[in-house]
Amino acid sequence: MAQFALRRRRFLAGLSAAAGASLIGRPQAVARDGRLETTSIRIAKIAGICVAPQYVADELLRAEGFTDIRYVAADAGAPAARALVRGDIDFTANFSPPLIIPIDAGEPITILAGEHVGCFELFAREGIRSIPDLKGRTVGVQGLGSSQYTFLSGMAAYVGLDPAKDIRWVTSSSPKPMELFADGKIDAFLGFPPEPQELRARGIGHVIFNSTTDRPWSQYFCCMLAGHRDFVRGNPVATKRFLRAIIKATDLCVTQPEWVARKIVDAGFTPRYDYALSTLKEIPYARWQDYDSEDTVRFYSLRLREAGFIKATPTKILAEGTDWRFVNELRRELKG
Amino acid sequence: MRAGLALAICALVIAILSWLSLTNAPDEVALLASLETPLPKIAPAPGFTLTSQDGSQVSLADFRGKVVAVSFIYTRCTATCPVLTPMLSMVQRQLGSDFGRKIIFISVTLDAERDTPKVLKLYARAYGADPRGWAFLTGSPPVIQDITRRYGVFALKKESGEVNHSSLTSIVDQDGFLRVQYFGVRFDPGEFRRDLLSLVKEH
Repeated sequence: MAQFALRRRRFLAGLSAAAGASLIGRPQAVARDGRLETTSIRIAKIAGICVAPQYVADELLRAEGFTDIRYVAADAGAPAARALVRGDIDFTANFSPPLIIPIDAGEPITILAGEHVGCFELFAREGIRSIPDLKGRTVGVQGLGSSQYTFLSGMAAYVGLDPAKDIRWVTSSSPKPMELFADGKIDAFLGFPPEPQELRARGIGHVIFNSTTDRPWSQYFCCMLAGHRDFVRGNPVATKRFLRAIIKATDLCVTQPEWVARKIVDAGFTPRYDYALSTLKEIPYARWQDYDSEDTVRFYSLRLREAGFIKATPTKILAEGTDWRFVNELRRELKG
Repeated sequence: MRAGLALAICALVIAILSWLSLTNAPDEVALLASLETPLPKIAPAPGFTLTSQDGSQVSLADFRGKVVAVSFIYTRCTATCPVLTPMLSMVQRQLGSDFGRKIIFISVTLDAERDTPKVLKLYARAYGADPRGWAFLTGSPPVIQDITRRYGVFALKKESGEVNHSSLTSIVDQDGFLRVQYFGVRFDPGEFRRDLLSLVKEH
């Protein structure tokens, strides 16, 4: 049944493409494989496991013609988005809300494609069974504005809570919220790999929500690939080739998870091989064709608007902060 | 004119969706195929000259005028290759008389040190590969490495002899253009076959 649903989803996506093609005639390539405009790219280096494809894409990027590939350190979420806005980096993989919020503010970010679904997990102590149970409870986040804060606020608003009033937010960068939860000082904690793997290994709390499996969140991409608007506009061939290399690298996460896990540990992106490997096996990287990038941005824009984080409509966010031409071309060039 | 065409397409889409919702059609992808635009021309396919399982020199350019599917395997692979090669073998049978005459399969080894022409010949025979249309190729490791890189295939040989590699099967048209690449080994063989045949029909 699930297989049928996936095939139908692809079918509908294909029908849309076919109908679109009929409107505009034979599709014109946005970036024919001409000469690279630049052989240099700068990519955010985030201490996360799920964005592994960009860390193992080195050889694939070189095969696409890039000779100067630089990884620039940035914290996940809003800091990586800010680095993109400042022009410190050309591309980043990031959870969509931290990308949508600056787009709402008019910042030069262009979301290009979804990368994978997942991989947040909401841990809670005994007695808390669902998100509505968080009313009046303490929830730890690194800061107001962090990905965890915006995501959980959106989820709370979605089930009828007022995230600002109904949840008692505890912000702490040191000790980290996960440690506060492990010590029993807060009631719930939204973890991001490798944190869920560590909590599970330590037998702490229980999971009341998993964005890889729980609807509606599991129906949308988590991390998306985004570029600086000026880079994307000025370097369409480089942008498409970057995307192609990253998409091919996601296949490596499917076919060679052990090698990818070893590589990202050895390169210092994450400390523990076992957590890296289990994360790579849990995230359905192979299903990138089954999810809709535009739907993802629309969905999260609505959630962020409900929660009061943005003012713009999803239509405006999509118009000003996305460009799907590259990934639409790649969907036709890369199947499987 | 275009608006009329768009309206007609929309009506067709609605009709098909209605039909699907009533019937749970088992092979809706086949319907989609009839609506799809031609496969894009990605770029000229990277050329190569290697040694076949029969010991002869084979170039991609030799097959100009035919549709070619290029895949990468190695005979001692225990992970993805034992899935990919039988799948290609199945498609080979389904293609009937077009196979060899209009459509060629090329499997390039990722383990040039051990996959000699003799070893590749045994491998081809084990999987029922028809030598009239399926070449298993080997060459010097640096040449193989260069080809894999240019096709965007990742391959890294470990000390144990095992090769960590991605699976990417590329379809090259009669004019030598790369038209589509299939990831992994879980792709739909029916769609793969339709893509091959759609390119045959282009000429």
